[in-house]
Amino acid sequence: MLCERCKIREATIQYTEVVNGVKKEHNFCTQCAREMNFGDVSAIFDSEFPFSKILSALLGEEGKNENADLAQIVCPTCHTTYQEFVENSRFGCPDCYEVFDILISDSIKQLQGSDQHKGKRPKYGLKMTAESRITEKSETDESPAKEKKPAGKSSAVSSAGKPDPERAERIGEIRALKKKLKEAIRDEQYEVAAKCRDRIKELEKDGSDKKNGGGADHAEMV
Amino acid sequence: MLKWYEQVGMEPENNYISSRIRLARNWNEYNFPNKLDVIAGGEMVERLEYGLKDLGEMEEEKFLSTTLDKIPETEKAAMRERRVINSAIAGKNSPTGLMLSESEDISIVFNGDDHIRMQLLAPNQNLNSLWEKADKLDDYINARFGYAYDEKYGYLTSFPTNVGTGMRANIVVHLPALSSGKQFPNLIAQMTRFGVAIRGVYGEGRENYGSFYDISNAKTLGMSEREIMDLVTKVASQLNSQENQVRAMSLKNHKTERQDEAYKSYGLMKYARKLSMRDALTFLSQVIAGISDGIIATKKPCSLYKMVLGIQPSNLMLNRGEPQDKGNLDILRAEYIRKELPELKENDIPEQGEGKEETNG
Repeated sequence: MLCERCKIREATIQYTEVVNGVKKEHNFCTQCAREMNFGDVSAIFDSEFPFSKILSALLGEEGKNENADLAQIVCPTCHTTYQEFVENSRFGCPDCYEVFDILISDSIKQLQGSDQHKGKRPKYGLKMTAESRITEKSETDESPAKEKKPAGKSSAVSSAGKPDPERAERIGEIRALKKKLKEAIRDEQYEVAAKCRDRIKELEKDGSDKKNGGGADHAEMV
Repeated sequence: MLKWYEQVGMEPENNYISSRIRLARNWNEYNFPNKLDVIAGGEMVERLEYGLKDLGEMEEEKFLSTTLDKIPETEKAAMRERRVINSAIAGKNSPTGLMLSESEDISIVFNGDDHIRMQLLAPNQNLNSLWEKADKLDDYINARFGYAYDEKYGYLTSFPTNVGTGMRANIVVHLPALSSGKQFPNLIAQMTRFGVAIRGVYGEGRENYGSFYDISNAKTLGMSEREIMDLVTKVASQLNSQENQVRAMSLKNHKTERQDEAYKSYGLMKYARKLSMRDALTFLSQVIAGISDGIIATKKPCSLYKMVLGIQPSNLMLNRGEPQDKGNLDILRAEYIRKELPELKENDIPEQGEGKEETNG
């Protein structure tokens, strides 16, 4: 069927209009649909950020039903409000991720199919998070590499400023697994929980094995 | 120095046009660009460009280092057509920096959607070597500027659609035969289920002039860079080999028609006085397919892909001067094509015997 407005392109959008109980159906092509004003729906035809706006759609529907308190949450660093974020699908600063974490992690999972990063990590200038600091302490008390490290610097960066991606990755994985373990216990999925527990043990053992085995060499190598 | 797009080959069974890797990164000292005022943004761009002033030595290539407000509008639009910058950045008013290598294979935009947007382009299918270069460049920048990074969400970006690896990997393939089939939309829909986005590069709405298709990863979080590249490569090679099958079949059964198409397209471009974007892309596409299938040949080896970019409105205006009205753009386009179209090898017109029989029968 051809678009009823331009009569050139194939109609791909069916627009149903109900005025005073009278239903009318229209067929438009995407281009005409974009040119016409359909109110809120028009954003769908805006070809610039079709994908990023999906998050707005996901959050927007939920947001309306939840209490207004959520809309009041503001990022202390850049003053982005949750409402603002829902409208623009845009964070204002790195801290927004932490501030809005509980509100958005499900939606990000819906959008991305995952909420756990995998792959490359920055080699330089990582700030250490509280949790990895703890893991590091319990794991690497005897590590010669650790003694060389200036306090407060990244867990994954040695004194020479060179990285140890393998260990950093392990710490990341342990952290993710611990979180998963907690969730599994909460959801009473004990089989999953057991698997997580075993994997954490394995990883932690791996780490200490390496250190005991060739700690000094390792420190030289990195 | 040749631009990267002047090196796009037209070999048989290789329908890959270009590969691209984009990495989005943010410096942990500043808010994201949409929450950064003009003064802070300007300062940041200056610091970034100063910190990377020796990048040319590392890459062994000359780099232009500038800000977008210093580039004239037409040139900016032409850069957008060549994908050096994207449309969101081209329309921005806040201070935006640009570092661009001489062959345009590496571009870094500062304070666009994110603080740092690295983009690497290469002719044909080259994702793996691009990633090696991108990885190195990323480390080079990271050694000077700390990145916003989170153990859970990975590299933090303005848009949640880029978070994680911050990576978009693209391959553009030329699918003139495959895309004319009735089943093609179905095939694309099936491919999309693997987690890739497939888009026509030129054209409006559902139409795709020239049959160039861009394949990219839809997701950036929870997949490693290697997995993303493997996925995009796999889908692209799948489409490439399907295109090859259809092309081989058409060469076997309809060789005369295919030759006719390629020569007619060439002839129209050679002598036309007005060419619309749609016509020009369609004809170029036919000739490119003809050359890579060996049924039409140019005197010297050349790259027709640079013409695909050259006929875009702003690149035309940059090349041939601003036209009086829109209709004149088609005249400029025809002029440009007449000038750029390479000569055909005359003795290479293949005999018609085999094909003729088929048309008769």
